[in-house]
Amino acid sequence: MTRNSSTTSNYSRREALRLMAIGGAAGLIAPNLLGKPAFAKTPPAGPAGRVVVGLSQEPTVFNPLMAHIEVDDAVHFSVFDALVRMDPQGGLHPNLAAEVPSQKNGGISEDGLNWRIRLRDNARWHDGEPFTAEDVKFTLELITNPKFRAWRTSGHSLVQDITVVSPTEITWRMKEAFAPYLSFLAETFIVPKHILEKEADPNTAAFNQAPVGTGAFKWSQRVAGDHIELVANPEYAGEGPYIEQLIFKYIPDMTVLYTQFKSGDVDLVDQSFITADHYTEARELPDRVVTLETGASLESIYLNLGRPQFKELAVRQALYAALDRKAIVDTIYYGVGTLTETFMPKESYYYDPNLPVQEFNLDRARQILDEAGWAPGPDGIRAKDGVRLSFSNSTTSGNNLREQTQQFLQQTFAEIGVEMTISNLPAAVMWGEFWLKSQFDTAMVGVTYLIAADPDATNRLHTKAIAAQGGHGSNTGQYSNPEVDALLEKGARSFDPEERRGIYNRVQEVVRHDLPFLPLFAYTIVLGRKKGLDGFEPNANTRTASWDAAAWQWKA
Amino acid sequence: MRGFLLNRLSQSLVLLVIVSIIGFGILNLLPGGPLAQFGLDPGMTQQDIERLKGLLGLDRPIWIQYLDWAWRLVRGDWGHSFRDGAPVLEIIGSHLFATLLLMGSSTAIAISIGAWIGIRGATRRYSLFDYLATVGAMVALSVPTFWFGLVGIYIFSLKLGWLPAGNMSEIGDSSILGYLHHLILPSVVLSLVHVAIWSRYMRTATLDAISQDFVKTARAKGLSERRILMKHVVGNALLPMITLAGMQLPSILTGALVTETVFTWPGMGRLFLDSLGYSDYPVVMGLLMFSAILVLLGNLIADIVVAIVDPRIRLA
Amino acid sequence: MTALTANAAPSRWRNNRAALRFMRHRLALLGLAMIIFLSLACVLGPHLLPYDSLYIDLRARFAPPLTGYHFLGTDPLGRDLAARLLMAGRISLLVGFFAMVLSTLIGTLVGVIAGYRGGWVGAALMRTVDGFLSFPSIFLLLALAAALKPSPVMITIIIALTSWMEVARIVEAEVRSLREREFVLAGRMLGLSGTHIMFREILPNAMGPIIVASTLTVARAILMEAYISFLGYGIQPPLPSWGNMLNGAQQYLGSAPWLAIIPGAAITIAVTSFNFIGDGLRDALDVRDDHI
Repeated sequence: MTRNSSTTSNYSRREALRLMAIGGAAGLIAPNLLGKPAFAKTPPAGPAGRVVVGLSQEPTVFNPLMAHIEVDDAVHFSVFDALVRMDPQGGLHPNLAAEVPSQKNGGISEDGLNWRIRLRDNARWHDGEPFTAEDVKFTLELITNPKFRAWRTSGHSLVQDITVVSPTEITWRMKEAFAPYLSFLAETFIVPKHILEKEADPNTAAFNQAPVGTGAFKWSQRVAGDHIELVANPEYAGEGPYIEQLIFKYIPDMTVLYTQFKSGDVDLVDQSFITADHYTEARELPDRVVTLETGASLESIYLNLGRPQFKELAVRQALYAALDRKAIVDTIYYGVGTLTETFMPKESYYYDPNLPVQEFNLDRARQILDEAGWAPGPDGIRAKDGVRLSFSNSTTSGNNLREQTQQFLQQTFAEIGVEMTISNLPAAVMWGEFWLKSQFDTAMVGVTYLIAADPDATNRLHTKAIAAQGGHGSNTGQYSNPEVDALLEKGARSFDPEERRGIYNRVQEVVRHDLPFLPLFAYTIVLGRKKGLDGFEPNANTRTASWDAAAWQWKA
Repeated sequence: MRGFLLNRLSQSLVLLVIVSIIGFGILNLLPGGPLAQFGLDPGMTQQDIERLKGLLGLDRPIWIQYLDWAWRLVRGDWGHSFRDGAPVLEIIGSHLFATLLLMGSSTAIAISIGAWIGIRGATRRYSLFDYLATVGAMVALSVPTFWFGLVGIYIFSLKLGWLPAGNMSEIGDSSILGYLHHLILPSVVLSLVHVAIWSRYMRTATLDAISQDFVKTARAKGLSERRILMKHVVGNALLPMITLAGMQLPSILTGALVTETVFTWPGMGRLFLDSLGYSDYPVVMGLLMFSAILVLLGNLIADIVVAIVDPRIRLA
Repeated sequence: MTALTANAAPSRWRNNRAALRFMRHRLALLGLAMIIFLSLACVLGPHLLPYDSLYIDLRARFAPPLTGYHFLGTDPLGRDLAARLLMAGRISLLVGFFAMVLSTLIGTLVGVIAGYRGGWVGAALMRTVDGFLSFPSIFLLLALAAALKPSPVMITIIIALTSWMEVARIVEAEVRSLREREFVLAGRMLGLSGTHIMFREILPNAMGPIIVASTLTVARAILMEAYISFLGYGIQPPLPSWGNMLNGAQQYLGSAPWLAIIPGAAITIAVTSFNFIGDGLRDALDVRDDHI
């Protein structure tokens, strides 16, 4: 029932997106949210109250430009601002920029190469210094500084000739037109030049342990291994904050995390969220709001197409037909998960709803293999031309639900004469070269295809992104289709949402046909918060539920 | 004395070098590594990862990495975390208090209860109490600590609701009572094994002391049994216990690590597991060295104390 | 002193006396009985039970013990817990046993060489022993397990690599004290090779402490397997082991506590039994040892 209602809301969201997209020229542009007027709720007298956010991993990287993982984002979004920010519908809003640059307003030239950003003039760093275009220039240059342990550099490495025109205006030139860059800027937080330029080594700067930003919350203190405390920034240039104290509590055990939510010690369960097995119980809790939200990643069986077993489309089709996805989602995952046929999140404007739907049918799977000439050998395992239909499946060891799914699949695959062994590895081994250099047979993995919600999936699907063949990217399944390559190249250069939608719908169609990976379900998170925490909105386009803590407030 | 100290110190240094080589070798010779945490990031390409590898110095031959690390350590630089760039010593320091609190309280429980059981068992040798204590100790040594913790959580947190299931304190509650409340379950769980060990040692030591001549002399002098027990027997039995305290350090650390996991305690065990998960080698190595130094120091101090207390032992 | 005769050729009489002493040790007998029972159950049980330890039946998941057809209930995939417990017992007991064999071999070898040769070889070996001992062993275990591909063989090797030091110390001390005894000197005079003296003349006399230490090592190895599997670095599914049955059970502690309680009880029983046997052997073989 809940699933139904969330599907309808997805649909209406898509409609809203469509309308929004028609108005915008580059990306999806919405009116200024931060300028308070139109959307402002009746703000309380001053910031009041405390919100405790529970996290199952510990944020430890506080310099937002350094290589970090999802859980660190929770702090970055509260302490820092980016030039633009992305709302749950995928619309971009100005944040430190005064307006979102587009081809229409002249911020981006017709050829997509020259960018001009106007900045807001009233933002200040937490130490009182004014924010200026110099900070933006410093930030963009720091990311590409070869001595700095920067996070993602794609897009940023195309930027050149950065010029500070005035304290509130900056321009640069791109080496080539690259539409996704605007979305990337939503995850590029601006750091203070006046603090970091004094540091000999930005990698070990004191700033990294006590960050100073322009965001709605100021750094207060951290008790390592336990919690991080932020306090309201009353000088914040944008909307909010309405709460006085924001605390990120680290609770490594998911069951304890849930227990603390139940007991009321934790007001909001962020990163890693409520585990699926607690969903039914959590829904019934009094004074709690517990909802299912589709995430951006796709749980799938990744096939290494470099292996002889998987070269033939018939094998991939048969394996897909043998996936009892409904049983997996409904039973092992307690119904928390949405069946899908594509890597594009359902929330996305670029999602293609017209793809053929998989059907679980073991007879059909056997028939496909019979017809393709894969005959059962003496041991019951099918083989063709000396290749046995046998492979291993790997994932992070210790992930219980995945291990259960693997064992379930092992049993079903055996019924169609396919042998699957389980070979799980510790995370540090699994996602190292084993994954990046395509050394696995198959992997059970939750993969995010979009960077900052831009539909460009070049990094995962383009032939030139196969690292195992010397490419630049993370196409670890070694998928290669010239048509997809051409479409992806075209899509990255286009700033027109309508045109891009056509392109990426076609990409999804081809990928669904080729089955380089077998989709299991779209990740769905169980989000829980205390009733009365107002202004909270989940956002599948960010990696954290605490992306807009500035708007939170306790309803009296 | 001085020669003894120098000898022991130099032996300890050699040990530290061996420990560091074993640790460094294991961590670095194996596949995967600290950058695997970015393997699933859609925006991190193989090139980004190679770049970070170079910046962290991971592209150098292992023996150069080791020498570099060791040379820095000799000069007092424990290195910086691969993950957040914070100094390793600072990171360890910030997790030290929680672990020391847990270890200290559980050791206090273990010594007091263990000594009581041991002395009582020795003075009433072959009684039912002694027999039960012996069997009980052996069972206690056989229970997996984490399982005992889980059962404790099940009974006292989930069913009875008396004690918290994890963490060190509630947000905003830094009262001593709050800490104590959280401390009870994990420190009792951690102390179980050590109560068993201490009670066995105390029993043996007390038995040894009772059979000594000076006890007989004291009895002949007509001193009360209680006085004899407290002054002569326990006093002498305590001596070997000092050595034991030093030798127990590694096992208490091990126990703390497992207990911290079950009770989500923010100490060094937790830090070790997290750092291992991210392959944050500088922190993992730092913890290995730190605990090895702690253990060696513990042994050394125990030896010295024994030597000072007991003039019969000559330091060669 | 009759050290020469008594040590050089342990007589049948002495063996019988040791056996008698062991038989009188009630706890040791209880332990032995438990281990025999557990081993038989693990070897035969899976053939007698009507369930396959690997058969998944999602409709029967989370059945509590003593209800319906599953004696000990079922796990999150609807597999019979009794069948899994016994299959897991095979793995855990085998890992424990072979880890003991391997670590005893390594420890004995190191101990004999260090004790007999003495000098800088002995010093270097014993310092390495100290080095291994001054790690909290779980750090070493986890560091190893986190980096290697976990399989029963690998886990056995890892556990053995972190538990041979105790044996090495005992053997080294024993050998050092025996080295200057008459029968060894006699052997040298007769021109026997060092290897012969070490392994044929001295070692048999150190068997008592070695046997006791190895029994306790089995107990310890079973616990170690449980620790690393509980933390997710040990034996991997679908292969069950007592430790990995506990991994993940914490998650269901509130809703299905038997998933945690049953395998933990099995571990405790097995480990206690081995400790009882070790204790009985120590008394029987008259091993003076300050450790428990």
